[in-house]
Amino acid sequence: MDCGAGRARTTVPQPCPAQQHSPQHHQRGAGGAETGQAGGSSRRTAPEGSAAPPPPPPRPRPQPALRARRAERAGAALAILSAGAGRGRGGRGALARTGRAEAAWRVRGRVGPCGAVRGREGRARRRRMPSAAGRGHGQDRRPDNEDSSAADDYAKERYGVSSMIQSQEKPDRVLVRVKDLTLEKADEEVWVRGRIHTSRAKGKQCFLVLRQQQFNIQALVAVGQHASKQMVKFAANITKESIVDIEGVVRKAHQKIGGCTQQDVELHVQRIYVISSAEPRLPLQLDDAVRPEVEGEEDGRATVNQDTRLDNRIIDLRTSTSQAIFCLQSGICQLFRETLIRKGFVEIQTPKIISVFRAEDSNTHRHLTEFVGLDIEMAFNYHYHEVVDEIADTLVQIFKGLQERFQTEIQTVSKQFPCEPFKFLEPTLRLEYREGVAMLREAGVEMGDEEDLSTPNEKLLGRLVKEKYDTDFYILDKYPLAVRPFYTMPDPANPKTSNSYDMFMRGEEILSGAQRIHDPQLLTERAKHHGIDLEKIKAYIDSFRFGAPPHAGGGIGLERVTMLYLGLHNVRQTSMFPRDPKRLTP
Amino acid sequence: MPAMYKVRPLHSVGVLAEHLPGCMYALPNLHRPHGTAAQEEVDPSLQALECRQEEILKRLYELKSAVDGLSKMIQTPDADFDVTNIIQTDEFSPLATNGADLDLMLGKDYGALKDVVINANPSLPPLSLLVIHSLLCERYKILSAVHTHSSVKSVPENLLKCFGEQTKQQPRHEYQLGFTLIWKDVPKPQMKFSIQTMCPIEGEGNIARFLFSLFGQKYNAVTSTLIDSWVDTAIFQLKEGSSKERGAVLRSMNAALGKSSWLVGSELTLADVVAWCALQQTGAANTAPANVQKWMKSCENLAPFSSVMKLLK
Repeated sequence: MDCGAGRARTTVPQPCPAQQHSPQHHQRGAGGAETGQAGGSSRRTAPEGSAAPPPPPPRPRPQPALRARRAERAGAALAILSAGAGRGRGGRGALARTGRAEAAWRVRGRVGPCGAVRGREGRARRRRMPSAAGRGHGQDRRPDNEDSSAADDYAKERYGVSSMIQSQEKPDRVLVRVKDLTLEKADEEVWVRGRIHTSRAKGKQCFLVLRQQQFNIQALVAVGQHASKQMVKFAANITKESIVDIEGVVRKAHQKIGGCTQQDVELHVQRIYVISSAEPRLPLQLDDAVRPEVEGEEDGRATVNQDTRLDNRIIDLRTSTSQAIFCLQSGICQLFRETLIRKGFVEIQTPKIISVFRAEDSNTHRHLTEFVGLDIEMAFNYHYHEVVDEIADTLVQIFKGLQERFQTEIQTVSKQFPCEPFKFLEPTLRLEYREGVAMLREAGVEMGDEEDLSTPNEKLLGRLVKEKYDTDFYILDKYPLAVRPFYTMPDPANPKTSNSYDMFMRGEEILSGAQRIHDPQLLTERAKHHGIDLEKIKAYIDSFRFGAPPHAGGGIGLERVTMLYLGLHNVRQTSMFPRDPKRLTP
Repeated sequence: MPAMYKVRPLHSVGVLAEHLPGCMYALPNLHRPHGTAAQEEVDPSLQALECRQEEILKRLYELKSAVDGLSKMIQTPDADFDVTNIIQTDEFSPLATNGADLDLMLGKDYGALKDVVINANPSLPPLSLLVIHSLLCERYKILSAVHTHSSVKSVPENLLKCFGEQTKQQPRHEYQLGFTLIWKDVPKPQMKFSIQTMCPIEGEGNIARFLFSLFGQKYNAVTSTLIDSWVDTAIFQLKEGSSKERGAVLRSMNAALGKSSWLVGSELTLADVVAWCALQQTGAANTAPANVQKWMKSCENLAPFSSVMKLLK
C-alpha cells in the first residue's frame, strides 16, 4: 500500500502498474477519507461513505523473489536481481543529492486491497459475512415508519431509514467530526455521521454510543419536544454498526462519561436517519475484539482469537486498536518519507514488483509472505558508517515523531496490549558483533566467533543490551563475512568480518544491511566464492562496469517496525490484509 | 562449489614434522634441547592464569602485613595515636599503565571492549565522574561516547559535547575501556558494568570510587578509610546538606588542608576530586576559607578540572 499523501492510486490488473507519484498533500479534512477497496481506485466520499465497491479483480501475483536472508546464507543462489525484485542498487536510481553523495530510497508498497489512507472504516455491509447467523435467523426488526402508530406520531419526520444515497442532492449541511465535539461546541446544534456502537433503551430514553474511527460520544434520544415514543423505539432498534446521520445539540455532561472518548459532552438527538443499516448479527462483537486478553480471562468473557479476527478483517479493522495501529503505521511511512526527503533523498519506484515477497515457508509470528518494505540505498564518501548513521538517525526521527504526534494512538493500543514504552538512545548505540558475542558468552552461551546469531540468541542479546544500556533499539556492526550475502563488502582490517550490520528493535531484527561491493572484479570473485552462476547475475555485475560510487543500504519491514514499536506479538496485527503460507483471503 | 562447512585443523602440521618411519606412534623427542618450537608456545591463557595467581598471592601477603600492622596498632598502649604518621609512610605504588592490569582488575577477558555505562541526569551532571574520566584518558586508551536516552527531551549542547571532539580512528576492540555516558531521567547517577556479576551501582560517590580504583592505587586501611569518609562528607553534607552543615565541612577541610597540600596526604586522591566538584556545584566556592581557596586553585591548575569548569557555564 502506498502510504503517502492521501491520493487515489489506480491498480491495473497487470503485472506492471505504472505508478505516478503525485505531489499532493495529505488532507485530513472533515470527512476526507477514502474507502479501502480491493483493487478499486480509492475515492473521496463523505465520511463513512457506503458506496458499494466493485468486487475485487484477481490480483496479479508477480514472480516471488527470494529475499530471504537466511536462504541466502545457506548458499542458495540468489534470484534477487533477475526476478526484478529490484534490490536495484548502485547506479540504479542513484540521483544527485545537493552538496553530498547520491541517494535513493523507495517504498515498495502493496497496491492490494488497501488503498486506504487514514481513517476509514471499511465498507459497510458490502461483503457477505461468513457468519454462522444466516439471514432470516433473528427476525428483522427494522422499524417501519409506516406502522400503525405512525399516524399519531408527531415526530415522524425526524427519524427513519433514508433512501440509498445515489448522489441525488448536495444538501448544504456540515457534518462535524466526533473528535471535534468538545466543550467548545456546547449548546451548538450540529449534524454528525457515525456508527451505532452500542444502544441501550431505558423506558422513555435511549442512550446510543456513536462511533467514528477511534472516537465515540454518548448520544441521548429522550421523549420530549423533539422526540416521540416511537422515535425512541426506532433508535433503540437500530442494529449495531449501522451508519446514521444525527442532528442534535451538544450539551455539557453532568459528570464525566467514562466509556467514551468525548467525556465532557453528550449529544441530545433531535433527528436520526439510518444511512446504511447493518445486518442484525455480527460475526464478532467489537467489544470482544478490543478486550485485553488478561482481563478477558479474568471475568470469563470472550476474547476473539487471531484467526477469527482475520477471517472477519473488515469488522476487526473497526476496533479502536486496529484504527490506532494503522493510523500509526501510516505515520511511520510519513515520517520515513519526511525525514529522508529532508536529508535530500529521492523516492523511486522499482518496476514489476510492488511488495516485497518472501518465498519462505515460515509460519511464525513475524513472517509474512508479502510485506511492505522501506528500502534505503545511499552512496557515501569514505566510510559506510555515514550510511549507518543516516539510517539509524532516520529511525530515531521516526520514533521521536511517533512519540510526539501519535501519543493517543499509542495509548489506545496499550489499553488492549499493554507494553513498556519504546526506549532508544540518540545517537543510536552501535555495538560490534564480537562485543555481542562476548556479552552472550558472559551470559553462558557457547558460540563460535563466526557463527551466525540464532533467533533465541538474538532475543537474549536484545535483553542483555536492554539491561545494560536501557535501549530497545541498537545496531550490531561488523558481522562475520561468512554469514552474509556475496555482494557484502569485506572488512579491510579483518578478512573474516564484513562491513555489514543489522538493526534490532526489542531484540528482533528489523533491518539487515551492508556496504555493497561496487567493484565488478571483487564482486565476480565473491560470487564465484559463493558458487553462484555468473550468467544469472550478469546484468547486476555489468551495472558496475562504468563507474559506480561506493554505497550501502538496508531494507526495513514496515509491519515489523509497527509491531515491535507497539510491542505487539504478531505481525498479522499490523498488516491490514495479511498474507502467509496459509492465508490468501480476505 | 566450496565445502559447506569449514573445519579448522586441530593441530598444525609443524608439530609432527619428524616423521619416524616404521613407527606407529610418533612422539616428540624428549631429549631435544630446550627452547625448541614445542616449548616456545606457552598458552596465553596459562600465562594469564599464572599472572593472576601471582597477583592473588601478592595481595594475600599485603593483606597479611596490613593485618599484622593493625594488630600491632591495637596492642599499642598509646591511645592518642597520630594517624598522620602512617599517611606519611604510605607508599604510593607507581600507577598501572598497561591494559593487562586493567584486565586483572576487571576480571575475565572475552576479547571485546569492556564498556562502563553511566546513566546520569542532565539537570545535575556528575562532575566528579567527568573529572575522573579525563584522568583515566591520560592513562588508558578510552573509547568515550555520549548518548541521550529517550526519557530525556532535551540536553544542553555543552553536555552533549562533554568529552570534547572524539576521534574514533581505531577499531573499537583496540581500546582498553569503553566509557559510555547516557543522559537519562534517573534520580541518582547509576553505573552498569558487568551485568552478569554486578548489580547496578547507585550514587555518584560510589561510582567515583570504582572508577578511581582503576588507577590501581594502593592505600593502607587508614588512608583508604579517610578517603572514603571525605567522599561521603562531600556527597551527603556538602552537596545535600544545610548551610550549617556545609560551614562545618568547610572548617574541617580548612583544618586538614592546613596540615597537607591535599585533603589526604601529599598526593591528589579521590577525596579531592569529589570534594572540589561538590563545592563547585553548591556554589559555596567563593565563601570558602583561605586554605580551601588555595587548594581549589591548585585543583583548577590541573587540566581535568579546568575542562569541567567549562561545563558549569
